[in-house]
Order: sequence, then C-alpha cells, then structure tokens
Amino acid sequence: VSFRPRILVVDDEPQIHRFLTPALEAAGFEAAQAHDGAAGLAELARHPPDAVLLDLGLPDMDGQDLLRRARAFYQGPVIVLSARDREAEKIAALDGGADDYVEKPFGVGELLARLRVALRRAGAAPPAGAVRSGDVEVDLSLGLVRRAGERVRLTRKEFELLAVLARAEGKVVTHRRLLTAVWGPAHEHDVQYLRVLVGQIRQKLERDPAAPELIVTEPGVGYRFLGEAD
Amino acid sequence: MVFLLAVLLAAAAFGLGPGLIAAALAGAVYDFAFIEPRFTLHIAHPRDLITFAAFFAVALAAGWLAGRAKDRAGRLQDQAAAMAALLEASRALAGASTPDEAAQVLADQAAEVSDGPAVVLLPQDGAMRLAGAPPGLSALGDDALGAAAEAFAAQAGVMIAGGWTFRPLEGVRGRVGVAGLRGADLTDGLVDTILRQGGVALERALLASAAAENEALRQADRLRAGLLNAVSHDFRTPLASILGSATTLSDYEDSLAPAVRRDLLRSIQEDARRLNQHIGALLDMARLEGGALKPARELTDVREVAGSALRRLQPQLAGRSLRRDFARDLSLAPADPVLLEQVLLNLLANAAAHTPQDASIEVAAYEDPRSVLVSVEDDGPGVTPAELGRIFEKFHRAGPPEHGGGLGLGLSIARGFVEAMGGRLAAVSPVAAGRGARFVVSLPKAAPMPRGLL
Repeated sequence: VSFRPRILVVDDEPQIHRFLTPALEAAGFEAAQAHDGAAGLAELARHPPDAVLLDLGLPDMDGQDLLRRARAFYQGPVIVLSARDREAEKIAALDGGADDYVEKPFGVGELLARLRVALRRAGAAPPAGAVRSGDVEVDLSLGLVRRAGERVRLTRKEFELLAVLARAEGKVVTHRRLLTAVWGPAHEHDVQYLRVLVGQIRQKLERDPAAPELIVTEPGVGYRFLGEAD
Repeated sequence: MVFLLAVLLAAAAFGLGPGLIAAALAGAVYDFAFIEPRFTLHIAHPRDLITFAAFFAVALAAGWLAGRAKDRAGRLQDQAAAMAALLEASRALAGASTPDEAAQVLADQAAEVSDGPAVVLLPQDGAMRLAGAPPGLSALGDDALGAAAEAFAAQAGVMIAGGWTFRPLEGVRGRVGVAGLRGADLTDGLVDTILRQGGVALERALLASAAAENEALRQADRLRAGLLNAVSHDFRTPLASILGSATTLSDYEDSLAPAVRRDLLRSIQEDARRLNQHIGALLDMARLEGGALKPARELTDVREVAGSALRRLQPQLAGRSLRRDFARDLSLAPADPVLLEQVLLNLLANAAAHTPQDASIEVAAYEDPRSVLVSVEDDGPGVTPAELGRIFEKFHRAGPPEHGGGLGLGLSIARGFVEAMGGRLAAVSPVAAGRGARFVVSLPKAAPMPRGLL
C-alpha cells in the first residue's frame, strides 16, 4: 500500500485523539491532530489533508465559523462530529459545506464507513451515468429508473428528487437543499412536499416501503440515498 | 278629580316635593278657572277656600304616601344593587386562583362600592406589598406603606395616611392583609361586608398557593431522589462493569482466553452504550422539566419516523419478531420528527425490556378522522392494573431494578414529548388473552394539503 490518505482530526479532547489516532492508522490512514480551531485552520492551509474530522464544539472558535473559513480554500471532504440532539447544528454544518456528520459518541466502525464514503466520492466526479442500489438502477444521463431490469415510471418531480439524492449517493442531503433543488427557493420550508414525494418514490422502488433500504430518513435533518457500497 | 289625579300622579312619580308643587299649581289653576270671580286668583268665598285647602291636603297626603313608597322602592333597589354587587364580588373572588389575583379583585370591588380608589396590600418579608390597585397606581408612598404596615400589626388597626384609610383584612385564621380606601365612608355596611368577604377569600387563596408550593416541592424532592438513585445506581453499575472489564484486560492480558477477552470487550461496549442512553434520558427529562422544549411543527409522515426508529433499534430488538402494519395512505401530522422518533425509540426499548427474547412486537400506523396514530404492541406478560396507573411516573420501574434496565424515565419522557406536540399517549394492557401491552401515540391531524404540487 503506497497511498495512505491523510486525515486531520480537529478536536480539543485529548481522549478522542488518543483512540482515533491508532484507530485511523490501523485502518490504513495517516492521522494528523489539531487541538483547537486555530491549529486546525493552520494545518489545513499548510498540509491540506485528504479529509477532515471536525468537532463542532471547539473552545477557541465556533465550529461552523471554522468550516466557513476552511471552505474558502479547502475543497476536500469534511465530516463533523456532533451530539445526537443537535439537529440544528448538523443542518447548519451540512448547509455550510460539511459532507456528512457522525453523532457522538460513535463507534469506530461507523466513523470509518462515513469517512470511506466521503473519500470515495471526493476522488471521483459526481456520478453522471448510472447509480445502483440493490436491484434499483438510477440512470442519471438518460433520466430512467429500472428495478430488477424493468423500467419504473416516475413523475418528473419524483425523478428530479431521486436524481439529487443519487448524485449525492451515500451522503445525507438536507431538506432545504432538496426542496430548493426540486421546487425552488420559495419552497425551502415546505418539508411536507418532500415527505409526500419521498413516500411516493418508496412505494414505487422500495421492496418494503415501511422499511426503506434505498432512501433512508435522517429525522429532522434530511435523506440519504444508500448506494451499492454503503 | 282630574286635578286630584294629576297631583297624585306627580307625587307618585316624582316624590313629595314635586307633588306639593303640582298641588299648588293645580290649586292655582282651579281657582283661576272655576272659582268665582273667574280668571283671577282671588278667592271670594270661604267655601272655595276649603276646596282649595282640601286640594293641598290631598296633594300632601298623596305625595307623602307616594313619595314614601317611591323612597322605599329606591331603597329596595339600592339593596338589590348591593346584593348584586356582593354576589358579583364573591363570584369574582372565588374565581381568583392566586393571592395577587384575589387582592386585585378585592381592590376593584371595594373601589366600586366605595366610590373611590381602593388598594389591597399583602405582607411580604416584614413589609407591606401593593398587591391590588386601581389602574395607573403602581406604588404607594413610604408614609402610606408605613401606615398600612401599622394597620396590619396594630390591635385595632385603622390607620390614616396620605389620604388613605387603611384597615386590616381578617380571614378565618387571622389577619391576611390591609385594604386602603380613599375618601369613602368605611362604616357603610356594604364596604364592610365586601372587605370581610375579601379577607376570607384572600386567606383561602394564600393557603391554596402555599399548598401548591408544597406539592411542587414534594414533586421536586421525588425527582431529586430519583435522580440521585439514577446517578448512584444506574450510572455506577455500567461504569463498574466497564472499569472492571478494562482493568481485567490490562492486568491479565496474556492469561485470558481469546473468548473471554472478546466477551469483556463486548461488555465494555454494551455498558458504554447504556450509559450514553441514560445520559440521553436525563437530558431529555431536563429539557421537559426545564420548559425549554420547543417542538417543531413539521408535517410529518409518522411511517417514516417509525421506520427510522425501528432501524436504529434493530440491534436491541434482535431475536424478537417485528411486524410493521402501516396504512398505505396516511395523512401527515404536524409533529417534531426528532421528538417523535425518540418517543418511538422509548416505546420500543420499553417493549424490548419487558418481553422475552422470542416475543413479537408490532408497530402500526393508521388514522381516524381526527388523528394520526402510531402504536407499539407486544405479546409479553402485560402490565398489571396497579402498575398501569403508575408506568408514566418518573423513575418508576416495573419490578426491581435489574442490570441492563433503563432509568425508569422512558415512558414518562415519551408522554411528555407527545403532549408537548399536542398529542396523547395511552397505554392498554392486557391486549388479548390476558397478555400483551399496547402503547398508542395519537397526534391531531393537519388540514389537507393542496394537490398538484407533486
């Protein structure tokens, strides 16, 4: 293995570095540490890493603020670490340029899975051809959806929504972003449109619409299209 | 006779004074028109003088009688008004739920019946505090406050200062406050009665508020006791296991069989997760108790939220057979999806904790004309009627606390969250054949949404 992706961990808790550094190294990554926001920004500018794990609760700087400043010069994937009951914080980070979030406390397996999705997607251009998940194939260039090889008819809006999610495959997409993409900025708060449309898509594409495996709900935050590798 | 009638009517309608005037007028007109010499006010004949005098006598008598009747009617009317005022006062006083409310009502009533502003002061920290006052008056001068305090403390108790006459308000058990009136006659029976009645009402309100405070304190005590128990027992148990497993691993690393090592590691993970759940429950409780909970009102598809809760809890439900029974078409309900997910997680965790490994759990989503409902039902042993009344209490646990159980907060939090969203959470047990428990969340429906946008 010649290439070890370098992951910068920005967190003020030494305990987190203490287990994350060996865990990342054991999983084939190179780990870099920053213990506050200023050090994190400096490290990002000096040696841009392949991905960033950013704790939103830093002592010297608001995590959202750091994210915004980093996004001015750093385009790589950023995964934020946030508490379970802080939906507003997660949404702000996602809308502010974060690629994904992991809820604290987390198991290493879950964190590494998210990290791999983010790295895989960062390396490649956004999918333009077909995105697959189980027996469903979303052909983004032709505007078709097949399930077990059979063409499934979606309405225009249903396909638009599915396409936004499929292009971001593996990543959570916030309600606001989905609403703006499909209905326009005037409807960015009309979450009920999304609920109905997602329900319709699930009826057509999910094996069991009550237990979705294709489009999963992140309550209060958004939706995630689970692709082949997720 | 016509003239007599007019005199009588005038006296009856307007009282004695107007009756006499009418008599004089009638006499004059009679004299002028009918007594010779006509068209003069001169009386020539002594007989006519008698007629004239009789006129006056009749007018006087009729006017006096009628006036008296009218005065009596007026007094009766006044008495009726006083009774009405008193009734109104007692009704308003009975409706007051806090001492300050009662004080304000009393001040208003006293002002109304005494034709002058009135204030009510209640003792607080050794001084008198203005609790009821006419609009526009927010404070009293120092001398007035001092006089009020003296009126409250002194035996006899009436004090005058700054134009106010202060008199103590007596309850059944003792003095409760002071009323101050300005320029009104305090010996008037009605004012007296209202102040007496107000004193009793104030005392009742003060006692009620003290009782409510006591009840709140008792509840806070219970909560604190539960919290202490939670921290000392429910947090220490998993911590003890984590510390024990970790030190075993580090001290005997080489001599442990691989299977034992794996088991210790798994136990560390499980207990850390449990601790995290306990912390989450305490935080949820704190949010509910602190009143800081502001649920979002998003039109929510409860099937989606239920699906997400089931996915999240899959590992803990493993082994139990899960059934989803979701209506294919279901209205959206205004709810907070994050809170609703926590509610369903708590209900599912509760079902998992009180059923054997091979139990089955069914989650259903359906609707009636008014509400969208989600239910979590199990076929476990069920809940006894005695338990059923207590399961939503904080820190209440069915049976003895066991390792692996929750804090006894899950159902209480669930109910708190559902109610914060304007819905209801009910428990039914047994469900069938003397077994099983069903928890039903009902959320009021939203107005239908316009079609055509999808």
